[in-house]
Amino acid sequence: MIEKETKAPKPGECITWDVKRKDFPKITGDEEQIKQVWQDVDALGYMYVWQCLLSF
Amino acid sequence: MDMEKLYQQRFKRYTTAMRNEKPDMVPIRPFVAEFTAKYAGFTCQQVTQDYNKAFEAARICARDFDWDAVVGNMVYIWSGLTQANGTKYYGIPGVEVPVETGFQYREPSEDDAFMKSDEYDQLIADPTGFLANVWLPRTSMDVAAPGEPTSFRNNMAFLKGGMAMLNYFNAFGPQGAKLRSESGTVSAIGGILKAPLDIIGDKLRGYIGLSMDLMEKPEKVKEACEALIPHLTYNAISSADPDKNVPIGFWMHRGCTPFVTKDQFNNIYWPTLKPIIEAIWESGHQTLFYAEGNWDDHLESFAELPAGSIVYHVDQGDIFKTHKVLGSKFCISGGISNYLLSYGTPDEVRSRCKEVIDGVAKDGGYIMDASAIMQNDTSIENLKAMTEFTREYGVY
Repeated sequence: MIEKETKAPKPGECITWDVKRKDFPKITGDEEQIKQVWQDVDALGYMYVWQCLLSF
Repeated sequence: MDMEKLYQQRFKRYTTAMRNEKPDMVPIRPFVAEFTAKYAGFTCQQVTQDYNKAFEAARICARDFDWDAVVGNMVYIWSGLTQANGTKYYGIPGVEVPVETGFQYREPSEDDAFMKSDEYDQLIADPTGFLANVWLPRTSMDVAAPGEPTSFRNNMAFLKGGMAMLNYFNAFGPQGAKLRSESGTVSAIGGILKAPLDIIGDKLRGYIGLSMDLMEKPEKVKEACEALIPHLTYNAISSADPDKNVPIGFWMHRGCTPFVTKDQFNNIYWPTLKPIIEAIWESGHQTLFYAEGNWDDHLESFAELPAGSIVYHVDQGDIFKTHKVLGSKFCISGGISNYLLSYGTPDEVRSRCKEVIDGVAKDGGYIMDASAIMQNDTSIENLKAMTEFTREYGVY
């Protein structure tokens, strides 16, 4: 099952950092970097879904 | 020949015209799709299945014709990707349609629409979730919806589809560089936009279903269009030319009369498109209105946009009327009938080019092109006539 998000993701997002953050009980390093990388790769998933609709 | 020097001349010519100013001569920017296969000696199947062949065909045409700007691959649907993710709705040359026929979009019947009439609220609440969880499974023969049993083919559809898309999109950069270095040709556009109402008609409800909804629940349709605005804006800007030199391609389908009424255009289509174009312009990008069909009833609305924000391409509309209404604010392109380019004589093509240049291009702000995307019925001789005449006569 796909996890239900509490609110709809914004443009560029599929699974928001707030949702993903709950998978990590504790982050000992630089959380901002982990968040940024998550969001960058998440945006590729968003691109895939929307480009399937718009371009193909 | 110094290709970089040629590229710079063409780049200046093309971008000057797009700013609605007067370059040294009328730029030529033909949107050649399956024509490139015919000219380069490939079949429609070959260029649809193998994008490297499509890229090669585009470069061969760019090398042999004196064109200022082209699209890296106007046979845009690469069936390697659509087969990988199980897309159902294309007729692919060599599979569902003959080898020498261009790919076809097969719109489902009203009963089989990819979005049902009672699903607007789901789309409005979470457009991305709706596409991923409802639309993708319905449009793919392999993708399973949430709650359905998964499968090897489901998993591979996402894996292969995602990798194929990156592979394909990443190939456009090197293709643009080759066009520049091999023939001094500019890549004409970057990025993609569809209007909210058009995308609901094209890929979600289908035209018949949307027409019924526009009568029965217009407010819900408008709400859905409004929900799509931020996503379509984001996708357009994030896929655009980072240097902000060439426009975002905006493909206009069935949002005009008689597909919709004037009231539907004025109350839904335009109010949910205009803010997207304004946001794109505020971010520094132009939009190419590729007005497929005849949008003459709506020119006054387009004239509301900021000067220079769009390039307006004329298909079956009246290019002289378009020039009167929009010419003081925007560059105009097109107006050479595809029927003429396929079945007319070179003299008839030259005569039409002269008529358009005389009537529209006098003060600059015009780009020569056919009315619509050129497929493999376009006559090579006639396209040569269009190109050579424009080069000879279209000098300022």
